[in-house]
Amino acid sequence: MSETGDGWGWFSVKANAVGKFWSLFFVLTAVIIVIVSWFSPDWGWWFPGDGRAHSTVGKRIDDLFYMIMVIVAVTFIATQAVLGYVLWRGATIRPEEKALFSHGSHSLEVIWTIVPSGILLFIALYQMDVWAQFRIKGAIKDAHGEFVKPEPIAEVTARQFEWRIRYPAKGKPLNPKPQPDDIYTVNELHTPSGRPVEITLRTDDVQHAFFVPELRIKQDAVASLKIPVWFDALENREYEMLCAELCGWGHYKMKAKLVAQPDEEFDAWKERVSAEQFDDGFRKPAEEK
Amino acid sequence: MFRHSSKPQWATNASGQLACWMLFGIVCGLSGCGQGPQAEFQYRDSTLKLIPDAQKAMKKTLKEGFGTPHDLVAWERFPIAYGGAKGSVSAPAEGTTSEAKTVTAAFEGDATKVVKGSPLLWLTGARAGEKSAADTVAEYDAKTNQLKWSGSADPVPAPGDKFVVGFGQALQQGRAVYMKNCMHCHGVSGDGAGPTAEYLSPRPRDYRLGVFKFTSTLAAEKVSRDDLHRVVKYGIPGTYMPSFLLLGEAETKSVVEYVRWLSVRGEFEKRTDDDLADYSQDSIEDTVKKALANFEAAKKAGDKPEKPVSLAQARKDASQQFDEYQNGKILEDKTRELPSEMETAVEDTATFLADVWTRADDAANVIVPTVPRVADDAASRERGRLLYMSDKTKCYTCHGMIGKGDGAATEDFWKKPGSEELYPRRGLHDAWGNILQPRNLTLGQYRGGRRPVDVFRRIYAGIKGTPMPGFGKTALKDEEIWDIVNYAMSIQYQSSQPPKANAGGHVAVKETSAAK
Repeated sequence: MSETGDGWGWFSVKANAVGKFWSLFFVLTAVIIVIVSWFSPDWGWWFPGDGRAHSTVGKRIDDLFYMIMVIVAVTFIATQAVLGYVLWRGATIRPEEKALFSHGSHSLEVIWTIVPSGILLFIALYQMDVWAQFRIKGAIKDAHGEFVKPEPIAEVTARQFEWRIRYPAKGKPLNPKPQPDDIYTVNELHTPSGRPVEITLRTDDVQHAFFVPELRIKQDAVASLKIPVWFDALENREYEMLCAELCGWGHYKMKAKLVAQPDEEFDAWKERVSAEQFDDGFRKPAEEK
Repeated sequence: MFRHSSKPQWATNASGQLACWMLFGIVCGLSGCGQGPQAEFQYRDSTLKLIPDAQKAMKKTLKEGFGTPHDLVAWERFPIAYGGAKGSVSAPAEGTTSEAKTVTAAFEGDATKVVKGSPLLWLTGARAGEKSAADTVAEYDAKTNQLKWSGSADPVPAPGDKFVVGFGQALQQGRAVYMKNCMHCHGVSGDGAGPTAEYLSPRPRDYRLGVFKFTSTLAAEKVSRDDLHRVVKYGIPGTYMPSFLLLGEAETKSVVEYVRWLSVRGEFEKRTDDDLADYSQDSIEDTVKKALANFEAAKKAGDKPEKPVSLAQARKDASQQFDEYQNGKILEDKTRELPSEMETAVEDTATFLADVWTRADDAANVIVPTVPRVADDAASRERGRLLYMSDKTKCYTCHGMIGKGDGAATEDFWKKPGSEELYPRRGLHDAWGNILQPRNLTLGQYRGGRRPVDVFRRIYAGIKGTPMPGFGKTALKDEEIWDIVNYAMSIQYQSSQPPKANAGGHVAVKETSAAK
């Protein structure tokens, strides 16, 4: 293979260019990712709806998200810059230069073990309060930061492929067992707005997940369990309510709406639905005319 | 020098081959290898069992009347809201010649959908019924109401002529909604045999009998638009029919029309098949077999009977008879007597269906209780329970002593409707031949709706297509039905323990004597 030498000669010339290419490639990729991420909220590539969280705990979850985002972004930019520099240096290294051999450096190992651990530990401790507010009943706060006891408003039963909802009659507490004056709806969960409420989540069949993206609330519904879910909807409007667990061929059909309304509207709505539900169909002849 | 190879480098190793396959997969995916076959309406078995001539005629009739899923035909005589903006000519445009092809139009209601290119169908007047004059809207000015059509200039429509723009648009919208949301269970033809149907229990409804279970109408009537609308909106709890609450109002309405249309199509096919029963392969084979058996029997008895026709001959005869049935009897002067029997039969069926589906939406056919709900107290529930256990209603025979849906009737073998043959399995069956559990009243699930009036109507008119009979007007007074409603709706909240032995026995005896 006498030609091999020539071949490698060609390769070493090319290697220089290839090395530079990869250096620029990784730096440019990082630049593009940063630019796209920066503008993506403007293009609607960000959170659902208007991009903001509409519940107290949702806002805190978003804060956590953005904090982690900043840490990741800084790390990403730094590592990409280092990567680009190292590749460039390697591509433009002069034949007489010697590469620095750093493998097995004890101090480096210690640094990149302790720094990420420290960051992770910080995140783990920092988020505990948010987690508690999301998952521990005694730790739930309203929008003003006061501890409150969420009011149980409904039992939400997921089934293939719809949401069936049972409310207590107006002015009554939710009873775990169905009551004769309970109110039933399907695919439409009404809730008083502005204060933490509780729903009891169950499933009739397989595993589903209760998901209101704009409130940042997601909870699996597990067979045989009754799981309380706490949230407050801060604005009077309709929110999209979805199933977030692939539950079968009709999973996509499990789209419903969450209607947050002021207390008086909520009560009026309950009265209306109740009247409809207990309609005996009898109309006085005079009424028909 | 760079090494050359006859094969590209990347194809010689394993990862290269993998890349090849991946590339193939991507190309395949992008070019749409996975596109399914075109949707087609399926025919009933009874259609497919007709002799070839009859089958051909049947398929032709269906196609002319209803079209295909891609090319719907709106048969005007059926009471389906096919859609489109109806209007009439208020005046021909002033100062223009007939060549202008413009009239002043008055639309009934919404004219926003009147856009250029919409099909324009003349219902009355000189232009009506002219198939060659397939007009479209060339221009419409909503301010001056000037409607210009593209098509022949003559004949000129006169003031008062009625027309409809965009006829069939609602049906097309209904089809789109149906294909997206309903088809995978209920099937393209509404036969309840879509791709996901086999995984469901209970089975999705087969519309083709024109029978729907949960209605507000009298026992003999079809389902009303409002009933279908409710079912689409709120679903049927306890079944796989989910709620389509978030479907828009227009979509829901149009899909209800499409379901009604599929039901009409299905029942039209069934009834016409029934009319053609003499021309089915089965019936011909049956007749030949019977004739042969008679022949053998007569021969044994010592008679000299005439030899019956062979199967092949019988088919030939049937084919000939069918020709007369379809095209009219041949008269002495070699002309045909028209209308033919088949034309008359099709006409009768269409008239019948148009009539029953019109009646379904007549307010007079909706069950309205004559008295308000009887106060839901212990006394009423007890009266209801006694009626439930009585021989007048025999509720308990199916729904069980305490409403668990496990009555003795579920253990019996039942006859198939219209024959002496028994179903192969124990238990009650519905009109579609599926095993049917009587409702378990302890669950508090109300498939036809949980309003008291819904339950009242179930008892008043029964549940169509099922063994649940209606008691209204005949066996029970409205007050008594309310008592049963009160009892039935209270079962859910009672203890699941059966009544004490003495109480149960005591009540049954007392009621039997009282009823007689």
